Amino acid sequence: MVPRLELPIGLLISQTGSYEAVSRAIHAGAELAIDEINAHPGQPVKITPVAIDPGGNLAGYVDGARVLLQDHGLKHVVGCYTSSSRKEVLPLFEKADAMLWYPSHYEGFETSENIVYIGAAPNQHIVPLTRHLLRQFGTRGWMVGSNYIWAWENNRILREAIAASGGAVLGERYFPVGETDLGDVVAQIIADRPDFVFTTLIGQSGFAFLKMLRAAAEAAGIDQPRDMPAASCSLSESELPMLGDAAAGHLSSSVYFSSIASVENRRFVGLWNARFPQMGQASADAESAYVAVHLLARAAARAGSTGFAAVREAVRDLSFDAPQGRVTVDGDNLHCWMRPRIGRSRRDGSFDILVEHPVALRPDPYLTWTHDARDGGGRDLRLIQ
Amino acid sequence: MSRAIQKNFRGLRALVMMAPDSNCVTLQQTLLKLGLEVTLARTPPAGEAGPRPFDVIFFDADDGSDAGWDDSTLTDLPLIALIGSEAPSRLARVIHTRAASHILKPVRSSGIFTALLLAVNEHALRMRQRQEMQALHRRLAGRRVVTKAVMRLMTGCGLSEEDAYEWLRREAMQRRIPMEDMARHAIGLGPDPAQDAGSNQGRATRPD
Repeated sequence: MVPRLELPIGLLISQTGSYEAVSRAIHAGAELAIDEINAHPGQPVKITPVAIDPGGNLAGYVDGARVLLQDHGLKHVVGCYTSSSRKEVLPLFEKADAMLWYPSHYEGFETSENIVYIGAAPNQHIVPLTRHLLRQFGTRGWMVGSNYIWAWENNRILREAIAASGGAVLGERYFPVGETDLGDVVAQIIADRPDFVFTTLIGQSGFAFLKMLRAAAEAAGIDQPRDMPAASCSLSESELPMLGDAAAGHLSSSVYFSSIASVENRRFVGLWNARFPQMGQASADAESAYVAVHLLARAAARAGSTGFAAVREAVRDLSFDAPQGRVTVDGDNLHCWMRPRIGRSRRDGSFDILVEHPVALRPDPYLTWTHDARDGGGRDLRLIQ
Repeated sequence: MSRAIQKNFRGLRALVMMAPDSNCVTLQQTLLKLGLEVTLARTPPAGEAGPRPFDVIFFDADDGSDAGWDDSTLTDLPLIALIGSEAPSRLARVIHTRAASHILKPVRSSGIFTALLLAVNEHALRMRQRQEMQALHRRLAGRRVVTKAVMRLMTGCGLSEEDAYEWLRREAMQRRIPMEDMARHAIGLGPDPAQDAGSNQGRATRPD
């Protein structure tokens, strides 16, 4: 029997800090894949992880990356969540000839040869959501977000699509990360009665906002999920338990929902629920980290090497039958071909899938090939219900 | 007034003038990802066939040779300098070319989109400003003709200065031509040759 290839990897994933709920799910997803691969004697590689907790701080990511790349000499690291952490460590990866396997959706406008982007690119999250909102609910929107790049760039895309459709942005407000004093903006939104509310508020701000919006809408006699839905590109199963009574009826654009009906997903969800029952249902971030580790292991097996350049060449055009469906790494930009989906949250902490793209969509990080988000697009999105 | 910025560069034709090293490879790969068509050359491929049609030019500011750097072959295009040496003699050359943005070496994939976006939009602004300046120059030059025409109408037709001016203005509006052109007609001059050259130059810029 051929001896298994030893594949040492770093995990640079925060276990503490302001976005720990999501980040812990990412860590758990990676663990699940590592244990699954290591427990299987038929697998061609055996993974040895070295984990560092950056604590949600930029400096923690830089220090952690130095330790993993310089002290341990690792060539592959799964990690980072925010774009700022990714951009902060990227020069270290370039200098060390190492690969970052990035397990999160992000705002795009980057293509590094030292990063495999496992999460959705903007043409796979905000663009399909924009089309859905403008077509199903109307063109008068309100935007509220946490004050950083993720919110600014998504709002830019939505704002341009609304303008091109002859609609109106009734309001656009940004708040510091963690802000929960949102009563004024909620009152203004209720007074303006937009067709939809797009939120890029993250963490505690997002939970507070959705709860307050629901309560204020009910007080005003508005059926908020039907007449003025709140939509986002990040709300996931990990967060629904934090919303209490206001958990149901929000729209989310994602390539993964725990309710996807497939053999691979039933297996994944079964493993997840058995191993992490305290963490809520499996989410896009957890699945993305799980996919990242599997793609890395397959690329190393295909290359017969754990070296940076060999694995990078091997991962181009590589496919994996993931819980979300077949994921293929684009040979050109190292982002993934995936199927955009739009879900509506349920009281039980999962999502009903309303819309899914019939086939995997090529990642377009610079939106070079993507038509305007207002573009009819009726042919490429299929309504399920 | 703010205009929409150009941020999609699909189909733009880039001329990259630098040695085929790893910087060049990174630049070329990233430009292809952004949807540009890339032509590599060490010097501007001008000459017998005339200037090749490009929309943006990247050039190595460290390159020793100034041969082939004829400003006339590179006018009216956004230029992006690739800079390694920050020695003033090299940077002076960048200034001289009026490069609209730059990329520092070693070239990384990050920064190329920014340099391209800044250069294309800065260049478009410069072209608009140049057209506005040409229009202002024309009006300034035309004032002498307008004055002359007003004088002619006052002495020849017995109009007051105000009536003469008003007549010119109204005639120009009815014929949908600039007041200066109307004044030239009134004193029996042909169309202004400088103006035609100016408007042709304006059209040479590539629309968004």
